[in-house]
Amino acid sequence: MSRAPNRIAVILASLALLSSIVGCAKILGLEPKDESRPFEHRAHALEGIHCLECHSGIQEASDTGPLHLPSSADCVVCHQEPHDPNPCADCHGRARTRYGAEMARKHLIFSHHAHYEADAGDCIRCHVDVSHDADFLRPSMATCFSCHVHEGQWDTRDCDGCHVELQSEGILPESHVVHDGDFLREHGVQAAAQGDLCTTCHTQRFCASCHGRNVPEIPSRLAFDAPLRRSMHRANFIAVHDQEASANPGMCIVCHSELFCLDCHLDEGIAGVDPARGNPHPPGWSGPPGTSNDHGPAARLDPLSCASCHGGAGQMLCVGCHRVGGPGGNPHPPGFSSRLDMRNDLPCRLCHASPL
Amino acid sequence: MVLQGSTRKYPYVDAEALLWAGVGPEEQIDALVVSVRVRDKEGRAEARLGRFILATGAVRAVQIDGGIATFRARSKTHFEFFGGAPVVGDFESREADWLAGARVSQGIGNRGAIGASYYFRADQGQRADEEVGADFAFQATDWLAVACSFAWEILDPGLANLQATISAQTKNRKVRGELFVQRRSPVRLLPQTSLFTVLGDVSTTMGGTNVRWRAAPRLDLWVNLALQDAQEDLGYGGSIRGVLRLDDEGKGSILGEARRLDVAMAAWTGLRTAAVIPLYRKVALMPEFELVIPDNPRDAPGRVWPWGRLALQYRPGRGWTVAAAGEASSNQFQRYDVRALARVSYQAQWPRNE
Repeated sequence: MSRAPNRIAVILASLALLSSIVGCAKILGLEPKDESRPFEHRAHALEGIHCLECHSGIQEASDTGPLHLPSSADCVVCHQEPHDPNPCADCHGRARTRYGAEMARKHLIFSHHAHYEADAGDCIRCHVDVSHDADFLRPSMATCFSCHVHEGQWDTRDCDGCHVELQSEGILPESHVVHDGDFLREHGVQAAAQGDLCTTCHTQRFCASCHGRNVPEIPSRLAFDAPLRRSMHRANFIAVHDQEASANPGMCIVCHSELFCLDCHLDEGIAGVDPARGNPHPPGWSGPPGTSNDHGPAARLDPLSCASCHGGAGQMLCVGCHRVGGPGGNPHPPGFSSRLDMRNDLPCRLCHASPL
Repeated sequence: MVLQGSTRKYPYVDAEALLWAGVGPEEQIDALVVSVRVRDKEGRAEARLGRFILATGAVRAVQIDGGIATFRARSKTHFEFFGGAPVVGDFESREADWLAGARVSQGIGNRGAIGASYYFRADQGQRADEEVGADFAFQATDWLAVACSFAWEILDPGLANLQATISAQTKNRKVRGELFVQRRSPVRLLPQTSLFTVLGDVSTTMGGTNVRWRAAPRLDLWVNLALQDAQEDLGYGGSIRGVLRLDDEGKGSILGEARRLDVAMAAWTGLRTAAVIPLYRKVALMPEFELVIPDNPRDAPGRVWPWGRLALQYRPGRGWTVAAAGEASSNQFQRYDVRALARVSYQAQWPRNE
């Protein structure tokens, strides 16, 4: 008696699972949502049809003018009885492939005429991907470099011979300084050795929007309509900024000075210098020698936290105790050395001032 | 109000500027960048003057009013000389008077470079920082890259900063992984005029990995895991992040991210989601939500600190963008905080490149 409803439930569940898989496949891009597909270049090549029979005139094309992409009129020369009244390009060939060609025309200085003569009409030498009906037919830069060494241009970071303007092209490099993974963390070490390579695409304004000392608004704040953009200070960063600072000491100092915290906390009225707010430090924070003194390790680990209340990086406050003969003892650790002039340079002169 | 612009006469000169002005407790106007770069026709010599970000070699990136000159020999040896006055931020008092330095590097074919740098900074006329550094970047193959930088403090001798990364990707670029290590001494990165610099070195060491997997044509996943030693306290941090593009062109996307940090005095878990949803032609909606769950909220209000924002963007065309957003949050500093944001921007190019 109960088998029939079970069977129906299994069938319904299977249908739901199947439709979910089909739905996921569409969402994930595993199955294209439109009917278009890469153009059948391979089949045409195997039929012995030369590229120029469809892309007529491209052998004379310079770096301006039409793209010489075939229209339906070109197709019906051979396919005299089309199976569909709609334009052939609606299904044969992807829109994004044509868009890629348009972008290449806009952003690259390239003459098919010069290359056609040099390659004796062998288009596939550069457009190797047509042999397997690939989606993207624009040759990679590595293909260009297989003939054009560009040794001098690479060395002088002169990309303008081929790229109209890299700064507005908005293309990411594929063969060098790959902008992938956690590039926000990695970009500094990459830029250290090849900073001028970065400037071929990035303006000073781009760097200054994060590294500038007088940035009016952090980038993630100004570009609030770009939520997927990576940033050091995204979203609710203020809630975790103290924890981030203590977890990664020194990171803040890369851009902010030791006085940044103090000035901002004073500005917000949360500097802790107000006696009415009480002592913000927990018990055991500081005391006579031999007692609990948590402030020392904490100060060395995250000096900026101290500086957020104690002005001048806290040096005047510290010297009150940390001086020879003071309750904080000798501030110089074993093996201490410094090339500062102890009678003239701060903070040495706070104790070692030259006698007048 | 932010005004920015650039122009150039290839290959000899280019210039750019970014100015901003604001009204608050007091009126402010400042320049973030005002820079002119000149170069010879072959690019063998160039100079940049004005206000800009100096970022070269192992020297820390610093915003300066000054200049940098670069000379490139045909042997791929580059010489850079720079100097100027560090820019003082709006919040800060005058902290430095001048800095100067140089870098020499040698190119390794078209695959990388190795360099050495030196810089000196004076703070109110006193020696504040003096560093030597080395840097190296090399694209060994089309799938393997190596880079590192190293800085040594001279005034208070010791390692200031060390970073190294090795990254590799599969030939089809579906998977890319990085290994990284970093050692940084916060006290040696401070100006030497701070007393903290004589209290002792507590460098922190961090090492970890980052893997990106293109799981499906429209789905990218990232996993990040790092171990960190801070003052003999071993901690960890990690995150997993995914971005699903809603269409082939990536006009719409959904992001999900989870983070966990447990290092030294920091311990929290974070969840974040954001999306860009094209609504109608030139209109898009951008919801964003984040939740921070601290392990030890102490006496701070609330056990969780939520944050959310809903933005709407309209691009009427001809370079105009109009965006508005509402934002609300609650954290240990403010029980609740509600804000409204708006931005109108316009971008034009001359001559027009239609």
